[in-house]
This record gives sequence, C-alpha cells and structure tokens, in this order.
Amino acid sequence: MPDSALLAAALVCAVIGMSWLALAMDVHWDQVCDAPGSRRSIVVLRMLGASSLLGSLVLCLVADTATMAVLVWMMLLALAAVSVAFVLSTRPRILALLVGVSWRSCEPSSP
Amino acid sequence: MFANFRLSLTWLHTWFGLTLGFVLMVAFFFGSLSVFDREIDRWSLPDTRIEPQPMPSFDSILASRFAMITEPDTDQRDEAAKRVTAPLPGKLTARSWNAYTTHRDPVLLMYVGFEVPNSPLPEDTVYGDITIDPRDGRVLPEDRLALGSGFFYPMHYSLHITWHDLGYWIVGFAAMMMLVALVSGVVMHRKFFREFFTFRPGKRLLRSTLDLHNLTGVVALPFHFLWALSGLIIFAAIYFPVFETSLQPLVDQHEHEEAMHTGLDAKPSGVPGRLASVDAMMKVAKDHWASRGVPGEVGFLSVTHVGNSNAYVSIYRDSTDRVATAEGLHFEGSTGRVIFEDPPAGPIETVNAFLTGMHLQQFKHWTLRWLIFAGGLLSCACIATGFIFFVEKRKHVHAKQGRVGATCVDALAVTTVTGIVVATMFMLVMNRVLPEELARRGVWEKGAFWVAWLATLLHAAWRAPAVLQGRLSKAWAEQCRVIVLLGVAAVALNALTTGDHLGRTLGAGYWPVAGVDLLLLAAAGTAAIAARRLRQRAGDPRTELASIEEAERA
Repeated sequence: MPDSALLAAALVCAVIGMSWLALAMDVHWDQVCDAPGSRRSIVVLRMLGASSLLGSLVLCLVADTATMAVLVWMMLLALAAVSVAFVLSTRPRILALLVGVSWRSCEPSSP
Repeated sequence: MFANFRLSLTWLHTWFGLTLGFVLMVAFFFGSLSVFDREIDRWSLPDTRIEPQPMPSFDSILASRFAMITEPDTDQRDEAAKRVTAPLPGKLTARSWNAYTTHRDPVLLMYVGFEVPNSPLPEDTVYGDITIDPRDGRVLPEDRLALGSGFFYPMHYSLHITWHDLGYWIVGFAAMMMLVALVSGVVMHRKFFREFFTFRPGKRLLRSTLDLHNLTGVVALPFHFLWALSGLIIFAAIYFPVFETSLQPLVDQHEHEEAMHTGLDAKPSGVPGRLASVDAMMKVAKDHWASRGVPGEVGFLSVTHVGNSNAYVSIYRDSTDRVATAEGLHFEGSTGRVIFEDPPAGPIETVNAFLTGMHLQQFKHWTLRWLIFAGGLLSCACIATGFIFFVEKRKHVHAKQGRVGATCVDALAVTTVTGIVVATMFMLVMNRVLPEELARRGVWEKGAFWVAWLATLLHAAWRAPAVLQGRLSKAWAEQCRVIVLLGVAAVALNALTTGDHLGRTLGAGYWPVAGVDLLLLAAAGTAAIAARRLRQRAGDPRTELASIEEAERA
C-alpha cells in the first residue's frame, strides 16, 4: 500500500478513535444522543477509541521510520481532535453512526 | 498573596501569557511561515523558480566561488571590530568553507568563516556568504531579499533585534514562559478535560473564545510544548554560554582529546597545503551511503583549516529520510583518505538531534510539513483567543471605571493578530511592485513590512476608543478586509509580473509557487468570512448586552 494511503488510513483511524473517546464523555454523549449512556458502553467506547488510536500509530509506523511516524501520529491526533470538536459543534448527530445508533432513535440535543 | 495555588497559576497564566503573548504570536506566526520558507523564497525571487538541485561539483564550480568570498559581511566585521582588543587587520584569514543545500533548494548557500584575531571569545568567527545557481555557478545578486529564509525565518527566532542578541533572549524568555503558561493553563482549565471536545461557536463571544482557546491549547499541547522546548534547546548555547566561560578549560581539553581520537585537528597547522579532489571524496561518501542502503545526497559540505596542510573535508548526508540531523564522513584534505566516520549517536545526542531536527524540518515528508504548519496555526489561534478573552472579560468593567487597560490590549492584539498578516502580505505585494533594478531592493521590502505593521498599530489605536465604551473595535473587521484585498492582489501581481498564474503552476505541478498562491487565497477567504462574522456580531444588539452579562458572571 502506498505511504499516502497508509497515512490517510491513519488519519481516518485517528478521527474515529477520537470520536469514540468523545462519545465516552457524558457531555459529548448527551450532544449526540438523548438516551443516557451506560457504564458498560463508556468502557467499550474508551477501549474502542484507544484501540483505534493505537491502530493509527501502527499505520504511521508502517508508512514511515519510527522517529518520523511518532511526529506524524502526534500531529494527526491534534488534527483529529479538532475535527471531532468541530463536528460536535455543528453536526453532532454524525457521530451517532459510530455507536450503531440510528439517527431517528437518537435525537440530538442542541450543542 | 493568593488564596490557593490555582489562583496563583491563574495570575501567572494571565499576565505572563498577555505580556509575552505578543512575542509568542510573532514567533509562532513566522515560525509557521518558515515551515515553507524555501517555497516563499521561490515566490519572492522569480529568477530562482527552478527545480531543486543536488550539491554541484566542488572541483569545477565551488572551489572558485569560495575563493571569491574574500571578506565577511560588513555588519559582522563591524560587530567583531567592537569586541577585539587590537584593530582588525585589513584582510581576515579564512578558517572554513561551507556549502549547504536541502531537497527543497534550487540555489546553493555558500559561506566562509573568517578567524577574528585578538578576540576575547574562543574560536571567534565571522562569516561572508554568497548564493549561487548550482547549475552553472552564477552568483546571484546580493541585494535581493529571500523573504522566507532571509526575513520571515530570522524574525521567528530573533525578531530582527540583533543588538547583543537581545531578540534571541526575548524569544527565549517567551518560549520558557510559554512552557509555564501551558502547565498553568492545564491546571486552571482542568475541568476542560471532562468536556475535551467542546467548542460552542453559537454562544456569546466570551464563552466561544474561551472554548477555542482551551481546545487549541489542549489538543495541540504536545506540539506547543515540544516546539517551545526544542526552540530553547537549539539556542541553549546562547542562553547558557558556559562552554565559553566557566567550562572553557574543560572544552579545550575535550577538543584536544577528541582531535587525538578522530584525527581531525582542532587548530590549523600553519603550513600551506593543497586540497585533493573533493568531488572524489563526495563520490566515496555517496558510495558509502549506497552500500548502507540509505538515500545519499550531500546536504552539507565543509572544508576546515582552509589552505593548511592539515585541512579536512566533512561531508554530511542530507536529512530527507530522518528527523535527526548530522551524519558525516571526514576526509583528509591533502589525500582524500577517510579519517573518521561519525559514530552512532549516544542517548543524549540522539534526543538532542531529534528535537533539533524536528524543529528545523529538513526531512522530505510533505504530509508532516503541512501538519506542523497546521500545528503552528493552532498555536497562533490559541494565543489570539487568549488576547480576545482577556479583552472581552474586562472591557465593560474597564469602560465603567474609565480604565484604558482593555483598550490598549485590544489595540496591541489587533496589531499582532490581523496586523501581522497585513504587514506580511503588504511585503509580498511590494516584492512584486518594486522595480527589479531598484538598488537595495531588499531594504525597501523590509521597510515596507515595518511601515505597514506600524500603520496597523496606528489604525488599531485610532479605532480603540470603541473598546473604552465596551464595544467591539472596528479595526478587527477593517484589517480583515485589508487582508482580503492584499491576498488577492499578491496573487494577481505574481501572475502579472512573472506569468506564473495558478493555471500554469498547477498545470506544471510547480508547487512552491502554486502553494504560496493558494495559501494567500485561503488566508484572504478566511479573512473575508471573519470580516462578515464580525460585522454580523457588531450589528446584533443582543451581543453587547449578553456580553456584558457574561463578563460580569466571569
């Protein structure tokens, strides 16, 4: 796989991972879904988020040398976090897709 | 003094952040531009819009060009004359020849280090330099200013204040306090971690500004921290000159022992000598790198003890494939025999080389380069929103009390946020407007920058009385509109004066110029949106009332 595709995949993993970590926080979960999140779902979301970020790091390491990959990953995380914050501030319901909740059953509250 | 530790940190964060924030804004804004300094150079010097070139032949091109550099730059010589204990001789002795290039350089920087006799400083050296076209060795005009590497980059770390290295000290102190501000900011806004991804643009200005300040500060926290720290490390020898003071005897001893170990003499022999073919040495170096399976272009070439029998040639691999810098082979000048190869770096040296290389970014990784540029802009956004929050929180109280604090801060914030962009774009416009044959053209371009920046300060001060009445200064929106005009004008003037319009540069895939043009248009577009939002906010009567209520709550 070309390096550019690996880095694109790393960015996607970082964004998805940050989204899961955001949904594991009560305040952001409430932005996306009216139904309260369970303790178990929070743990699962945290594990999924951490795994996805780890996957992002692995993809960076495959694409580049370790020293370069660490820097790319660090900056991708920042970019992903900002992207998730802007999605939550404008179109929070998009993140409902990541928890397998249909849009209709998870009416978003105002940001 | 304060009721608790958190309040102490809040005071520290607020006041050091405010006073040094203006310096940090300059350092981070021009640092971000410096990520693309070579590309800005190509934009500002149309004659150099050619593909990057490898290190040219030393024997047929570089040797004769080095011989042309017979004296140091006048400024450096004048400075050296002030610190020596006896008058400088008319002709200084060349100590080293150096040539430096990267995978982004179509031109080659060559500089000669000259010995400063009778100086109280050990190894005191002054430099003279030229830039050549590596294809034919043609020396490029000296009075043309490379805006990226010649103006924006030094602005980033020295503010162009050269007197007693004061600029380095100011930026260094600001960077150190930034580290403090980051730690204190995390403690102050620790609740933010429970709502890490919060940004509420629909809320009132005070709230949305604080959200953005926290968000940009925290998500890029490792970037802010590492770049401020590595900037300090790069100039550590200036801030802690112990090697030239208390540790000098130890340095001399180490230098002697290192010379014994490596075979690279620390002092010139004083006996005249000739150089063997340096081209042959470059070939040996390239073959050596090829045998190790690593990319092998010469990035830095240096001849030490020029003209002496113990001269040696150091050839360093360029840094396209790694973050860390410096990996050299050293040859005996008279024979071309390999004397010494830099051994693998130890742990401390590795960390230092990584942090330095990370900050200087000589690697060939365009994704990372853009990500670092984005990180720099996040830093600018964090600092700018800090200014706005400071003003918004206080302006109504200050207005009631007739105090000018918020007004002054707002004027300075306008100057360092939008004003800095106006001055930069004005410099680019003047670069395309001034006649090519104008004598000391670079001085005129620098003057244009400072005059434009001063004008933005005067404009901000003129509009500032609105803040004294608790309203939003019109200077923000007006300077945003100027950015729109200048950004579009710079792109249009580049097309008109060079013929390199976006259609041509994008079609040819010539990204240095196309990239700068696109960034100028993106900045203009962002400024247009900001101007529109500012006008809407100023026209909304609920904004001021809500802002007053929120400020009082804060």
